[in-house]
Amino acid sequence: MLNIPLEAANFIDLNYMNVLYLFIVGFIGGLVSGFIGSGGAFVLTPGMMSLGVPGLVAVASNMCHKFPKALVGAIKRAKYGQVDVKLGIIFGIFAEAGVFYGAHIQEKIKAAFGDAGSNLYVSVAFVVVLAVVGGLVLLDAVKTHRSGNADSEEKVSALAKWVQSVNIPGTMIYFKSLKAKVSLLFIIPLGFATGMLAATIAVGGFIGVPSMIYVLGAPSLMGSATELVVAFIMGLGGSFKYALHGLVDIRLAGIILAGSLFGIQLGAIGTTYVKPFMIKLVMGVIMVIVLFSRALMVPVYLSQLGLIQTLTDSTVKILKSTSFAIMTFALLIGAFIVLQAMYKGRKAEREVAEKVVIENA
Amino acid sequence: MAQQYGRLKKKPVGKMIVYGIASVLLYAALFLNQGTITALFTRGSWYALFPIATAFAISFVHGGFTGYVWSVLGIEATKKALRTRPEEKRTYDTERPQPQPRLRARV
Repeated sequence: MLNIPLEAANFIDLNYMNVLYLFIVGFIGGLVSGFIGSGGAFVLTPGMMSLGVPGLVAVASNMCHKFPKALVGAIKRAKYGQVDVKLGIIFGIFAEAGVFYGAHIQEKIKAAFGDAGSNLYVSVAFVVVLAVVGGLVLLDAVKTHRSGNADSEEKVSALAKWVQSVNIPGTMIYFKSLKAKVSLLFIIPLGFATGMLAATIAVGGFIGVPSMIYVLGAPSLMGSATELVVAFIMGLGGSFKYALHGLVDIRLAGIILAGSLFGIQLGAIGTTYVKPFMIKLVMGVIMVIVLFSRALMVPVYLSQLGLIQTLTDSTVKILKSTSFAIMTFALLIGAFIVLQAMYKGRKAEREVAEKVVIENA
Repeated sequence: MAQQYGRLKKKPVGKMIVYGIASVLLYAALFLNQGTITALFTRGSWYALFPIATAFAISFVHGGFTGYVWSVLGIEATKKALRTRPEEKRTYDTERPQPQPRLRARV
């Protein structure tokens, strides 16, 4: 931590292009986060670093834009009755513990294996989690779409039914989103894993939202909305931790917020126009595409650690650029699906409204 | 017809302007004094509260503005969302038992 003041002193000069770039990425990230509860911020840290922002400052500033964004999104979606505040707070507290433990693990790995080791750990975590969870979420969304039951009520998974049936005296808590009591002992590991993932790949929601849906039995809309409460708690704690070391560049956080607060409101509005499986579809698509982005980087880190043949500089450069391009594509495709679904939903509602007016005339 | 339907609700233009001006002032204060602010906010320790408080202020002021912008543009949640809460649809395992008719015979 001795190099922190030096890094903090390296805050970049902002020009119009940088500001515009961060605003647009913030908007798209906000749109996706407002819709699926998380997942919009993972492009921002590498995006800021590509502008010359030091790594720790980029992580800290990204974190500092996340919690106010999540707060605005959570309030908006609470108006639609989609947020389970109690579940969000309890989940968030254990997620915060997971964040601190995850950061501790990261520091240990970095101390033992250096930057390449730490990056390899992050990439492997990305690939494993996104392959397993992302694959399941996407498969479920596609199955629901193909079954023709997209309009019907979401079914509670067999696992969630079992979790809700387990009665451990003294630990049972009623949650309105589940319409059932669940033992706190199930929430602790799920929250902790969410926080650990957030500390590792910056998007805890890739575990948080699917676990609320498939393990606890929350509807997709409520799971994704409640994740915003979790993100707020994790982001607030993380931002404070980084700010204690003077690492937050409030200018960067402010610019990203300027765009993302437009995006998150639009994403939240979008959830009211779509069928629940769309949440899973957007999340699954983003997760699977990002998986390929990170998988491309694994050989780079393996080569840096000397575990495989050394790659040439040009190969490393190509792999890094392709990885970043795929990550950006994931966010764009997510935003496209959200906007398209919202457009269709609004069009359908307008047609119904016109029909009613004509019939009443 | 659709336009008539949309016009039925009054749009919060005044609120959007007020929050918009407040947002511009907030960002102007941040960027016109960025040197001083950056130096102060990065001192660490209890100065950590400054960036956190600023982020909250932006979320309130700019968040309010962005919300009103979408409302003024006519992009709002479907009416159905405000009427029907998603959690109310899932009624399994919470339905109250219907009272059963009882026959009371006095002997």
